[in-house]
Amino acid sequence: MSISALLLLLAFLAAFGFLIGRQKIHLQYKQQSEKPRITTLPKYFGYVAGLVSLIPALLVLFVLHVAETPWINHQISEVIASEGLQTDLDLDLYLNDIKNANSEAEVAALSHDKQVIHGHYQRITKTAEWGKSAVVISLAVLLGLFALKRINTETRARLIFEKIIEWILLAAASIAIMTTVGIVLSVLFESMRFFGDVPVMDFMFGTEWSPQTAIRADQVGSSAAFGAVPLFVGTMLISVIALMVSVPLGLMSAIYLSEYASRSVRAVAKPVLEILAGIPTVVYGFFAALTVAPFIRDLGEGLGLSVASESALAAGLVMGIMIIPFVSSLADDVMSAVPQALREGSLGLGATRSETIVKVLIPAALPGIVGGVLLAASRAIGETMIVVMAAGLAANLTVNPLEAVTTVTVQIVTLLTGDQEFDSAKTLAAFALGLMLFVTTLVLNMVALYVVRKYREQYE
Amino acid sequence: MNMIADTMTANMDNKPEPQVNLDIEYTETVGAYTCDDAKISTRDVNVFYDTNQAIHDVSLDVGRNEVIALIGPSGCGKSTFLRCLNRMNDTIDICRVQGKILLDGENIYSKKQDPVLLRARVGMVFQKPNPFPKSIYDNVAYGPRIHGLTKNKAELDDLVEDALVKAGLFDEVKDRLHGPGTGLSGGQQQRLCIARTIAVQPEVILMDEPASALDPIATAKIEELINELRKNYTIVIVTHSMQQAARVSQRTAYFHMGRLIEVGDTNKIFTNPKHELTEKYITGRFG
Amino acid sequence: MNKPINNTDQVKLSLKKRYFKEKVFKSAGLLAIGIAFMFLLVLLTDIITKAMPAFSQTQVNLTVSIDADELGLKDDSSREDFMAADFRQPIRQALRDRFPEATKRKVKKELYTLVSIGAEYQLRDAVLENPALLGQSVTMDFIADDDVDAVIKGAIDRTLPESDRRVKDQKLGWILEMEASGEVHKTFNWLFFSAGDSREPELAGIKGAILGSLYTLLVTLALSFPVAVAAAIYLEEFAPKNRFIDFIEININNLAAVPSIVFGLLGLAVFINFFSMPRSAPLVGGIVLSLMTLPTIIIASRSAIKAVPPSLREAALGLGASKMQTVFHHVLPAALPGILTGTIIGMAQALGETAPLLMIGMVAFIVDIPQSIGDPSTVLPIQVFLWADAPERGFLEKTSAAILVLLVFLIAMNAVAIRLRKKFEKKW
Repeated sequence: MSISALLLLLAFLAAFGFLIGRQKIHLQYKQQSEKPRITTLPKYFGYVAGLVSLIPALLVLFVLHVAETPWINHQISEVIASEGLQTDLDLDLYLNDIKNANSEAEVAALSHDKQVIHGHYQRITKTAEWGKSAVVISLAVLLGLFALKRINTETRARLIFEKIIEWILLAAASIAIMTTVGIVLSVLFESMRFFGDVPVMDFMFGTEWSPQTAIRADQVGSSAAFGAVPLFVGTMLISVIALMVSVPLGLMSAIYLSEYASRSVRAVAKPVLEILAGIPTVVYGFFAALTVAPFIRDLGEGLGLSVASESALAAGLVMGIMIIPFVSSLADDVMSAVPQALREGSLGLGATRSETIVKVLIPAALPGIVGGVLLAASRAIGETMIVVMAAGLAANLTVNPLEAVTTVTVQIVTLLTGDQEFDSAKTLAAFALGLMLFVTTLVLNMVALYVVRKYREQYE
Repeated sequence: MNMIADTMTANMDNKPEPQVNLDIEYTETVGAYTCDDAKISTRDVNVFYDTNQAIHDVSLDVGRNEVIALIGPSGCGKSTFLRCLNRMNDTIDICRVQGKILLDGENIYSKKQDPVLLRARVGMVFQKPNPFPKSIYDNVAYGPRIHGLTKNKAELDDLVEDALVKAGLFDEVKDRLHGPGTGLSGGQQQRLCIARTIAVQPEVILMDEPASALDPIATAKIEELINELRKNYTIVIVTHSMQQAARVSQRTAYFHMGRLIEVGDTNKIFTNPKHELTEKYITGRFG
Repeated sequence: MNKPINNTDQVKLSLKKRYFKEKVFKSAGLLAIGIAFMFLLVLLTDIITKAMPAFSQTQVNLTVSIDADELGLKDDSSREDFMAADFRQPIRQALRDRFPEATKRKVKKELYTLVSIGAEYQLRDAVLENPALLGQSVTMDFIADDDVDAVIKGAIDRTLPESDRRVKDQKLGWILEMEASGEVHKTFNWLFFSAGDSREPELAGIKGAILGSLYTLLVTLALSFPVAVAAAIYLEEFAPKNRFIDFIEININNLAAVPSIVFGLLGLAVFINFFSMPRSAPLVGGIVLSLMTLPTIIIASRSAIKAVPPSLREAALGLGASKMQTVFHHVLPAALPGILTGTIIGMAQALGETAPLLMIGMVAFIVDIPQSIGDPSTVLPIQVFLWADAPERGFLEKTSAAILVLLVFLIAMNAVAIRLRKKFEKKW
């Protein structure tokens, strides 16, 4: 039975439980000679019966579904062993053909050994599927019956129902934790495998990055190098350029908008900044690669400089523009958190607006601004599309903004797009880079959020 | 305006006779609103927030080296009026001021007048102490620094010390001049704010309920200070407390719903108010 | 310290300089905004001007004689026969007839590239639709090759010397001749909105990408909206104050700032490798994007719920409603506009997202138009990325046009969000 059919059946069972449960209580209420003034509505009893049958069944179904593939693989490898067949290849690869053979023609095309295995495979899959369905459905039916039998007018059905809902709400809130755990586990697990092949020190401090492992071991240049320093430096270079553009511009726009601009100017300028923030990064990337980069190259040539066509400057500039609205809205937030009394205090002493801003507001808002800059830095480090499209692929160890550099995110994308096996050091390296990226941005975010929170508390 | 609405309900709640109809009883300001040697004189001042009128036709002179107290129920416009005197209302977008306000005979709302220079001459102390998140020293030195009042560090030090001495704070903070200004107690903070204002060497000091957030002992110190400062400065003080007005001021002006009802010598106003509303307010019938 | 009490003269001394600084500072602020404005303006103009040509397409008018015998077709031939027939020949013949001077093999080969390779399918479809055309001679428009298109639209400069020009003199001569006689002309490019991706710029369309984006967003919405609202309700209304809840909040705030590409790694490792879900499918893309947009929607929903005044809750609780009833009957409906606004903004963010989807294989070249959330497909931003990378010149305008379509969708979504906010904005 397919998953969707199973889900449909479960839903049907739950609805059935709901109707019966409601009806049962409805009848019991009718039979009571003395009616209590306030009763729990019959529908709550129905809800309880329905949910009791549905939720455990869904959980069990989920677990079984996850466990299904490993179980099938385990069974089939036992079959392979007992048949005495040789599989020198990886089991997954070996089974791939078998699993993909759905039509008779495809089955006929398999080798004899594989045809035998195919038969076993079909049998095992069927067993797994029916077993799964049987367990889940009987669980739903049994629990539903149990609940229907237990409920009576004395049951505090509404409380039980609300408790169940509260747990469901809590589960929804916990998805954030599960996501974080999922990220950490998936990145960490693959990174561990990578660091089994490549020493951590080589990765962290090596200065040569050429992950193109050759296909055959005897090929020339088959040794891949995984020294990530050029990537870190490249990421830093582009991020610093981006921050040098976005922090002053973002800060000054926020100051202008909140302290100087008339209402009509604000009404126009704020949406424009929001548009800038809403433009997808791939659009910025396209613009950086096809318009800004050639412009900068031509400009550089005009000045007698040699500028790479994928210069760090172009990517950094455009990324900086992209982050302006981010910086300006954060700066706006922290500046408006500075109490009006401080502004008045300074103006009341005869300070000009700019003196008030530079000497009172900015120092007072400094922790918040620093927090905002850290968040912007984390944003710049993690930004992907602009650099993928406008920065280089080759790992140059340089801090010259006119040369092409590559970044961590660019390498993750290059290593993982395209067809390669999942187990090669090359793909695993992407996860190691992902780990670095995650940890760096996590630390930056934590520090920034902490600083900003402390800052806000100061004025609350 | 909300504030006005509040006042109206407050009045209705507290009035023994329900019919104190302002518009009927009010004709014009009772008492002498002019003085001979006026530092500030205002004529027919009207203030609007958008379309709401907060101040109606107020004319009032402030004499040189005198302390004038502005009293009245909350929301009566006394703070708004005070903020007109150094154009602090400019910082509120929707606020419009009409009429003449003269400082030493110059209209401060004329196009030529520079609000920065004006505020250097007319300093302000606010209701809640608002020291900058800087050191005590930097708080006081802020004004002289931005205005370029001193030539070197030594002069600045002297000026800061002088201001702190005048504000009666020096002895309490001389050991921690470079500690944060926000670390002081409420009363000390307010005296720091006064010191900060004095350090600019203004001609007039506006005080917006300077003691309302303070305990009685701190309040007493501030009042003492105001009496001291009178020798050198002209002071306009808004206060909630009639006792305070009586203690610190020479003249008192009573505001009600945006109008100046009565003005006169402080002791006369408190002992023998001429206007019915003033009398009711002073005897605690509303407000 | 017996300074004069009056400071006017002293203050006046420095005023000029201070006002100059003030002016400089203010202009710096204006300049900053001006730069942002300028950039936006340049970006939009650049993209719009580059995109405009993509909405028209050059057609070549040819008279083709459809010889049933040569095609091996009869009136009663089956559909398969039609599919197998070589419709290239009649078109080539038509081209040879039009320019009889092309006799050399090489020249003829060049001649055939005047029309797109899609032309034969156009002809086949026309004949399939109307079998009566068999054995007749028809005059119809065929899609021009991208080079012809470029010449007609002026993207290739005709005045350049031959060596610097992509289209050589001979071909240019044919094009000019046909242009002069009105045999090539431009029409609105419907194909761009009705076709899937293609290796040939003149045949490529964005329908596949639009549908892919639609399916992906549907999955994202279906997953993230209920979960985010449930989480927001729990955190605002039910959560006790304890470490676990603090931990959840820290996680949400952090996830909002985790680079999107990391979510792609999660999708690849967990959903594709561990759960063996299909690669390149909107299903997985939607799941990944919903995890990514959850924090945004949760944060927006929480502030919407927080904005509901306590008096409303008290009124309901005072009537004996349970906490749960209060929340679902009163608080949630009151907060719904705010929640929806946040959701739309989250969806707009998801629509423009590229990086995580690259990780889960949505970057593959897919010609077929996806029919369900399990089919391999691509999305609009990735289509932009793929075309931006393509070497053919013709894809440049397609890329810009795809960006334009993407921006139109985004603007529409944001406009709806703003309208919603305006309409339901309540002053509590």
